[in-house]
Amino acid sequence: MQTFHSIGTTTDWIVMVVYFIAIMLFGSYFSRYTKNTSDFFFGGRRFSWWLITMSIVATGVGSHSFVKYSAKGFEHGISSTMTYLNDWFFIAFFMFGWLPIIVYSKVRSIPEYFEKRFSPSSRFLATILLLLYMIGYIGIGFLTLGKAVIPMLPPEFVLFGMTIPITLMGAIIVIAIITGIYITYGGQTAVIFTDLIQGFILLFAGLLLFFFGITYLGGFDVFWNLLPTAWKLPMADFNQPSNFNFVGIFWQDAIAGSIGFLFMNQGLIMRFMACKNVNEGRKAAAINILFVLPISAIVVGNAGWIGKAISITSPEVISPSVSPDQIFVVVANIIASPGMFGFIMAALTAALMSTVDTLINATAAIYINDVHRPIRHFLKKTSSSVRENDRNELLAARYASIAVTILGVLAVLAFKNFPTVYEAHGYFHSTLTPPLVVGIFLGVFWKRFTASAVITTFVGGVALMILGARYPGILIAPFDHGIEMNVDHPYSYIRALYNTLVCSGVAVAAALTTRLQLNFVSKIRSNPNGKMIMNGLLAATILLFAVVLFGIMGITLQVVAAIGVIILIPLTVTYFVRYDEETNTLGLTAGTIKIARLQFKGSEPNDAEGNTVLVNWKLVENDENMMRFSTTDMAEMKANVGDLVYISDKRKWFGGLKSAHSVYGEPHQEEGIVYLTADLVEAGLFAKDKLLRAEKEM
Amino acid sequence: MDLFSHSWLPFIYLYGLGGILFVAGIFITLKAGSFDLKRSSHKKWMWILMFGFVWYLTMHALMTWAALGIISPYVVLYTLLILVVIFIIVTLNFKKIVRA
Repeated sequence: MQTFHSIGTTTDWIVMVVYFIAIMLFGSYFSRYTKNTSDFFFGGRRFSWWLITMSIVATGVGSHSFVKYSAKGFEHGISSTMTYLNDWFFIAFFMFGWLPIIVYSKVRSIPEYFEKRFSPSSRFLATILLLLYMIGYIGIGFLTLGKAVIPMLPPEFVLFGMTIPITLMGAIIVIAIITGIYITYGGQTAVIFTDLIQGFILLFAGLLLFFFGITYLGGFDVFWNLLPTAWKLPMADFNQPSNFNFVGIFWQDAIAGSIGFLFMNQGLIMRFMACKNVNEGRKAAAINILFVLPISAIVVGNAGWIGKAISITSPEVISPSVSPDQIFVVVANIIASPGMFGFIMAALTAALMSTVDTLINATAAIYINDVHRPIRHFLKKTSSSVRENDRNELLAARYASIAVTILGVLAVLAFKNFPTVYEAHGYFHSTLTPPLVVGIFLGVFWKRFTASAVITTFVGGVALMILGARYPGILIAPFDHGIEMNVDHPYSYIRALYNTLVCSGVAVAAALTTRLQLNFVSKIRSNPNGKMIMNGLLAATILLFAVVLFGIMGITLQVVAAIGVIILIPLTVTYFVRYDEETNTLGLTAGTIKIARLQFKGSEPNDAEGNTVLVNWKLVENDENMMRFSTTDMAEMKANVGDLVYISDKRKWFGGLKSAHSVYGEPHQEEGIVYLTADLVEAGLFAKDKLLRAEKEM
Repeated sequence: MDLFSHSWLPFIYLYGLGGILFVAGIFITLKAGSFDLKRSSHKKWMWILMFGFVWYLTMHALMTWAALGIISPYVVLYTLLILVVIFIIVTLNFKKIVRA
C-alpha cells in the first residue's frame, strides 16, 4: 500500500498555523462567558436552533468523517456516505421522547437519568459503560487526527544531531497536548462558538474541494461518466464485501449508531441541552438531519470519489494502491493550490479537534456529575457555599479534561491495527453501544422496564456479547445475512445486530418476569436465612460472570454460566435494590412527559400561544429575581404570573448568547418596559439601551 | 451484471425496516401523549416528520435511478431543490394552510 509523507508547502503550514491561532483566539474570547460549571458544560441553556445546528456540524462532520468516508469513497464510491442518510427513522423517539425528558427532568448526564429512572447501582454501571464509550470515541478522534496529519509530516526530523522518527502515536500525543490545553481553558460556550464558525468553514472547505475536483476532471459529466455504475449507487452491496456491506452497516450505524449518537452521545446531548428550549432543540435536530447531513455527505466523501475518478483517468497521478486513510490529504494536495491546501487541512484538523474537544468536555461532565459529586457527597465534603462548590468543581473539571485526554490517547492503541478508521469506528459502535442503547430506549418508552431489568441488560447482555466476540463463527454467524466472516476482524458491523438482539432479549425477559422475581424475593425475605441465601446467590453470580469474562472452560459451560448470570442478576437486584415503578417513572418516561413539564415549571404549564414582544429594560431591586412586564405585554405574550419567560437581546445574530430565563412577576403599567434585577442583567449579559425580545416558555 | 443486491434490495431493507421503526416511533409517542396532535405546533412537527421520510425515500430512489442510468443526475438535483422549496413554503405558512 502506497503511503505519503511531507505533503504540502511552507505556505500551507503558515496558513494552518494562522488558522489555528485565529480559531483559538475566537474560542478564548467566548470562554469569558464561562462563569460556572453550568456554563462550562451546558452553555447556560440559552442558544437558538441555528447556532446549535451549525455547531453540531463541526461535531458530527468533524468527527473522523473526512478521513473515514473519503477512504471508503475511494474504495467503494458514493455509497461511502450512506450512513449520513439514515438518521431520520428514530427522530420521533428523540424529539418527543428523549429530548423533552432530559430537559424537563433537569438531568445533567445520562447516568444521572439512570439513577432517577432506576437506581444508584444502575447509574454506576451506566457511568462505566458511558465512560468507556466516550473515551473510545475520543481515541477514534485522535487516531483520525494522527492519520490526517502524518502525510503532511516528514518521516523523521533531526534534533541536536539525533534522528527522531515521526510515528503515528508520537503525532497523536502532540495533538492531544494542544487539544487538552484548549478545552481546559475554554468550556462549552467556547466550544459551541468555535464549532459554529468551524461548521461553516468545514462545509465551505468540503464543497470547495468538490468544486476543485470536478474542475480538475473537466466537469461534472466527465466525473459522473468515469465512475462505474456500482460506484454511483447510494447504498453498498447488500452483504459483500465483509469490510463494507449494506446490511452490516445498517445495523451498526442506522440502528446502534443512530440511537447511540442521538440518545447517548453526551457531547451531542449537551448541545441540545444548551438550546433555549425543547422546541429549539427539535428544530436543531430536524434541520441538521434533513438538510445539513445530505450536504455533509458530499462534503466528507467527495475527496474519495474524486480520487477514484482521477485514479481511473490518471493512475500515474493517483495510484489505486494509495492508502485509503490518506486519500483525502493526497487528493486535496493535488487539486488545491498551495495555501488553499493548507486552508482545507487546517479546517479538517481544527474540526477534528473540535469534535475531540466536545467529547472531552462531555466526558469531564460525566466525571463531575457521576463520579466526583457523588463521591464528595458520600464523603460529606461538600461545602455549604455554592460558590466554593462551583469553584472546586470547575477545577476538578479541568483536571478531569486532562485525564480524559490521556486516556483517549491510550484508547488509540485498541483501534490502530484496523485497516481503516471506518472499520475501527464500526467495530467500536457495534460493540459498545447496544447495552446502553437498549437501557435508555426501554427506560424511556416502557414503563414496565425495571431496575433489575436494566442491570440484567448491562451485565447479562455484556456476558452474551463477550461470548459473541469470543465465538463469532458460532454465535454471530446465524445473524450474518450471508456476510463472509473476516477472521482478523470478524463481523465488524453485523455484530451490532447480535449484540442488540441479545441485550434486548435479556432486557425484555427480565422485565416480563418481574412478578416471578418479586414472588421469589418475598419468599426469601420471609426465610430467617434469607440474607445469607442472597449473599450466596450474589457470590455465585460473580463467579459465573468471571467464568464468561475469562473464558474458563468450553463454550457450552460458558453459555450455561451466562444464562446463570441472566437468571440470578434480577433476583439479587430485586432483593438488594429499592425500586418503585410509580415513583421511578414519574416524569421520566414518554408517557409521563406532561408530569415532567409540570415538575419543570413547578405549576401547570401555560400552552396558550402568544406573541413575542420587544421591550427596553430597567434595573430594579427584587429579591425574587423575577422579570416584571407591563399588563399589555403580558397579554400580548398570553402569559400569567408564575409562567416561565425567556428574554434575549433583540439582535438575532447573537443566537441567544445574551439571554436569560426567569419567571413572570406581578405586572406593572409601564408599557414596553421590563423590570430586571442586577442578577438577571448579569446572567443575560444585557447591554444598556439595547432592546430585548421576550417570549413565554410555558 | 445483476445489481439488485446493490440497489433495490438495500433500498427495500432500509425503508422496510426503517419505515417500521419510523411509524413505531410516531405511534408510541402519540400513544404516550408526548406527541400531541391537539397542539398546533405538534401538527406542524407531524408534517415535518412525514416530509423527512418522503424526502429521504425520494432522494435514495432518485439517486439509485440516476446511478442505473434511468434518469440524469441533474433530475435528482432539481427534484430535491423543488422539495426543499415546498418544505420551506409549507412550514412557514403551516397555520394558514391548516386553517384554509
